[in-house]
Amino acid sequence: MTREEFLNSMADLVELPRGALKGPEQLNAIEQWNSLAMISFIALADANNRVSLSPRQMMKCTTVSDLLQIAKVDP
Amino acid sequence: MQAAISAIEYFLPQNVLSTSDLAAEFPEWSVEKIDGKTGIQQRHIAAENECSSDLAVNAVQRLFESGACQPDSIDFVLLCTQSPDYFLPTTACVIQDRLGIPTTCGALDFNLGCSGYIYGLGLAQGLISSGQACNVLLITAETYSKFINARDKSVRTIFGDGAAATLLRAVESESPFIGPFIYGTDGRGHQNLIVPTGGMRHPRTGQTAEPSEDEDGNVRTLENLYMNGAEVFTFTLSSVPESIERILKKSALAMEDIDLFVFHQANRYMLEHLRKRMNIPGEKFVVAMSHCGNTVSSTIPIALKHAAREGRLPNHSTVMLVGFGVGYSWGAALVRWSDLYQS
Repeated sequence: MTREEFLNSMADLVELPRGALKGPEQLNAIEQWNSLAMISFIALADANNRVSLSPRQMMKCTTVSDLLQIAKVDP
Repeated sequence: MQAAISAIEYFLPQNVLSTSDLAAEFPEWSVEKIDGKTGIQQRHIAAENECSSDLAVNAVQRLFESGACQPDSIDFVLLCTQSPDYFLPTTACVIQDRLGIPTTCGALDFNLGCSGYIYGLGLAQGLISSGQACNVLLITAETYSKFINARDKSVRTIFGDGAAATLLRAVESESPFIGPFIYGTDGRGHQNLIVPTGGMRHPRTGQTAEPSEDEDGNVRTLENLYMNGAEVFTFTLSSVPESIERILKKSALAMEDIDLFVFHQANRYMLEHLRKRMNIPGEKFVVAMSHCGNTVSSTIPIALKHAAREGRLPNHSTVMLVGFGVGYSWGAALVRWSDLYQS
């Protein structure tokens, strides 16, 4: 999955239009970034990159790019 | 002697909490969103005065009515519950009396959640193969709704109350019908799915009944059920594939040798993710929770009952059961389905 595809999948799970996320967005500014979206993101990283994310690690992320980095999405 | 599953019945309380009811209470979540994430259309909720033993007695009475067994043939009662009628006495003792099961039977409760059915099968297999019992009633019964805050949609959308009763009979056979088993435990996760107060560690006080709101807007007190969904999901993603690997290795079988996979019915989203991750074909995978939600230790027997009713369990099928959850605790077992089963 490319970075763009990953961003679009993340946009789907936080109920934003595809293309709305670029990376620098602050997670606390995304209204639908909640525990349910976290679970969907864990599933996304697991399914596509076989990366096992820890919720504690995710809580330290402040931007979308931070999340993509720990999910090992190619820059 | 070997233990064989010879009948399963279940009982759900009359009160129903539909997804439409929840969407009306939580307007930020639509019916489609709840259904899409959980795969649950309705949950049955015990009445105020309806306890685990009441659900259990009803489930077992259905076994008796089906002709699978009668009270006087039962020589052991195993009850898996985390919402017992009392701290003490043992709820299985109350059930023995209410059902008219002979006083010569053994009875015990064991406290496990979503892995409980696997552990119960292991206990029943041990009792029967060692000659300690011939007809074991394995009952799973929960009223988690009594722990759940009405304003906590994170758990209210998922859990439903219910009970299942499985009859395990001693059968002369060289090869086992149930097994091998694998088990797993990791108490480091105990705080991620917990009712924090009400036991001896943290007794209830005026303060424990004070509600607080989390960052997602869910309200609960320290006397309510708390679930850290993300942590539990992460645990599941590691424990389930590992359990499957271990049990296949122990049984010297491959994925292709398994005819049907019955996992704990946590929620459809999680099940579908696990199914795809493990490359399990849809026709070999059971999802049976839309009518009752996550009934904790009863989900596997309920799913087995539905699979049998739908003709998905022909004689000699090899079935893999996997339970996982609160504790953390997990386990898996293989079942060789037999024509001893009475549908």
